[in-house]
Amino acid sequence: MTAELVGARADAPATGMSGSALARRNPTIKLAVLFVVSLVLMFIFDPITPLVLYLLALSAVGATARIPFRVLVLTHIPFLAFALGLLIVNALSRPGEVLWQLGLLRVTTEGLEIGTALALRTLVIGVLSIGFVLSTDSVALMTSLHQHARLGSRLTYAVLAGYRMLEDLPREWQTIRHAHAVRAPLGHGGKPPRGLREYGRAAFALLVLSIRKGERMAQSLESRGLGLTPRTTWRRIRLTRADWVMAGAVLATVGAVIGLSAFLGYLHGFSALRT
Amino acid sequence: MPDSGVILALHNVSVRFPRRPEAVLTGVSVHLAPGEQLIVFGASGSGKSTLLQTITGVIPHSVVASLDGSVRLGRDAAAVQTSDTSVVALSRLVGVVAQDPSSSVCLPDVEQELALPLENTATDPTLISNHIDRALDAVQARTLRYRSTAQLSGGEGQRVALAATLIAEPAVLLLDEPTSMLDAAGLDAVRRAIRSAVDAYGPAVVLVEHRIDEFAGDAGIAGLPARALVLGDAGTVLADGRTPEVLTAHGRVLNQNGCWLPLETELLAVTGHSGGLHAPAVRTGIRSLGGVAGAPPKGNRHDVSPIVLAATDLVIDRGAPASRRRGRTPATPTPPVLAAVSLTLHRGEIVALLGGNGIGKTSLMLTLAGLHVPVSGTVTGARPGMIFQNPEHQFVEHTVRGEIRHGLGNLTDDALDAILHRHRLTHLADQSPFRLSGGEKRRLSVAAMLAHDRPVLLADEPTFGLDRRDTIATMGALRRAAEGGRSILFSSHDLRTVASLADRVIVLAEGTVIADGALFDVLRSHEVLTRAGLVLPPLLRHLLDEFSDEQGRRVLKQLDAAVTGTTPGVTT
Repeated sequence: MTAELVGARADAPATGMSGSALARRNPTIKLAVLFVVSLVLMFIFDPITPLVLYLLALSAVGATARIPFRVLVLTHIPFLAFALGLLIVNALSRPGEVLWQLGLLRVTTEGLEIGTALALRTLVIGVLSIGFVLSTDSVALMTSLHQHARLGSRLTYAVLAGYRMLEDLPREWQTIRHAHAVRAPLGHGGKPPRGLREYGRAAFALLVLSIRKGERMAQSLESRGLGLTPRTTWRRIRLTRADWVMAGAVLATVGAVIGLSAFLGYLHGFSALRT
Repeated sequence: MPDSGVILALHNVSVRFPRRPEAVLTGVSVHLAPGEQLIVFGASGSGKSTLLQTITGVIPHSVVASLDGSVRLGRDAAAVQTSDTSVVALSRLVGVVAQDPSSSVCLPDVEQELALPLENTATDPTLISNHIDRALDAVQARTLRYRSTAQLSGGEGQRVALAATLIAEPAVLLLDEPTSMLDAAGLDAVRRAIRSAVDAYGPAVVLVEHRIDEFAGDAGIAGLPARALVLGDAGTVLADGRTPEVLTAHGRVLNQNGCWLPLETELLAVTGHSGGLHAPAVRTGIRSLGGVAGAPPKGNRHDVSPIVLAATDLVIDRGAPASRRRGRTPATPTPPVLAAVSLTLHRGEIVALLGGNGIGKTSLMLTLAGLHVPVSGTVTGARPGMIFQNPEHQFVEHTVRGEIRHGLGNLTDDALDAILHRHRLTHLADQSPFRLSGGEKRRLSVAAMLAHDRPVLLADEPTFGLDRRDTIATMGALRRAAEGGRSILFSSHDLRTVASLADRVIVLAEGTVIADGALFDVLRSHEVLTRAGLVLPPLLRHLLDEFSDEQGRRVLKQLDAAVTGTTPGVTT
């Protein structure tokens, strides 16, 4: 997945995901909407409401972010895994009406319900995050946070420089592993060992090299005058009425779903936990 | 010099680092006029980098060190003391281009990288785009504007860094070995970029550079900054004046101290005659270094020695370890870097692996070392050792002693001490490998690898970024290892190093081996050099034209001997 993303960023800045309707929206607004929706979801503990929200979020992201189907599926994997974990732990560990039992394993109705709710909540946040990450350029996000959320320029650019360092890490790690393997005693089958100790040593070397490089990058950012005031912003990220409309539409939809759910009697808040 | 014409003034500057008894700079006083250009000469450890750091304000603001004396930047009444002004505020006056482009280019896109200094100095946003074009034009890199910085080659990255430094139009430009990490092609582009950018923006320049001849280009000494400063022991100023005169007066001492010098100066130091390769007296001097013509050639060792490593029909790709581990095939299979590679290494011989950047030299070495699985083909022979371009990648332990012992459980203390002694590491035995100097790190990485009894040593750019003395020391260690019966395969961009060290050369180009033969035979083939993009330095060209192989080799060894001081320079 990373390969596709890097490729898309580097080669085709104006096509694919980055040219989509969602990509044109203001990054700070998108991040704020993601945050608010996630916060609201913290208070919902029934399975139906997040299920509806998930289906709506999935179709909205699918319709506006131009993410290839394969990428959308692949990026779901970590969230699905986490969701499954939540479901299983809750189903097996919550007290309540026993639905199914085998020896020490016991599944309760309440556990299953809350587990499903939490799993679906994870998926809602997941699909919105996928839409956000894949439709947002990192430089634009940081510039926008600096501009619209008053994030300091030193922090903003430190994050961007960190991102640049991150890109080099896999190659650096590979070289260190190779360099260490040369002198390592061979284990079974003539292969160098791959134990925790070896990884620890490689990680230490990577840490030292990265800190060194971080220092050099910090020095070169300072020597370019980062932190001087006043400063200007070259490519201001636009904050338009469309951004507010999008934010309003998303929040109104979430509100409507919750309202409808409450009206129909599906909605459960924290009270669901107390039973 | 009257104060009004001064942009940079160091007055009686001394710098000391904590827990180091001797000063790094002692009583340095230098005045630089606007637009004036200065080159700093000095052996490793003479305080060249420290001098630059005192000018940027990194000393005393970011590095713990005591600074005496005063450093003033700026004109007349607007001048500031670096000790009272933060590094960020000083950035309005001084710009730096450092060695490693990968850590001086900090943002994801070239455009953004160039816009940052302008945004920081509150430039009107409507003017920024034009400034970016102008800066990229000045470094002859207009086409890079829309690129992502992660995809730049070393030479391209360094040009972007130079543009990002000059775009804010600092009055003083510091160049800290700007070409040290580049291959021949990158170096050439950066050299031309520096020249045209300095012409365009007209800053005062302070240059520290190892690869002097390459930096100066065909103009020789005239291609260097007009003024030279020589730093001696403990960072005292030995000389400050016009570059040709300073080099004439101090060339011999600088050469003995292992400082990289223009060829003309080196030849003057060794033969006692000026004028460079074109002067008859210098030519005679070189001839006397070469000894009697017609000395019997040693014969090609590899014809008689047993084969210790053989590679047959290798096809090598660049390897995408991350995706392979996840068991996925990449969407588009990457084409192999090298194909139809067959080679043999024989006991006791030194083989150089040549070829342009990105041709696959490192991939081939990793494959020979058994660290990279070839697409097809076989490698037979005992497990080789390998040293890497950056010695730090190899370090696994917390002390030099531990580093050598690593992987050798049964190494006795006596044997360990002998290794430390042989590689001049005894006094560093308990230090952390990461805290050593560049030359010491290289010595340690060679020592630690040679401690393992491997018949073949692969060395990826073993002399990269070293000063001349350390380069010669590393060559000596490899030569001794070969005399002890090991087979050495090393890669290098420096053809002079190759010519003084190798018996045989393997040239990679066009995705395969295009030449494999005795050193001087291959270097004499114009066709091979052209196809591989290799350019002979003037000295080597002269030696190949005028001398037998054996004589040429002897000249190079004598020139190196003038540095270590073991053999006195020969004069006629």
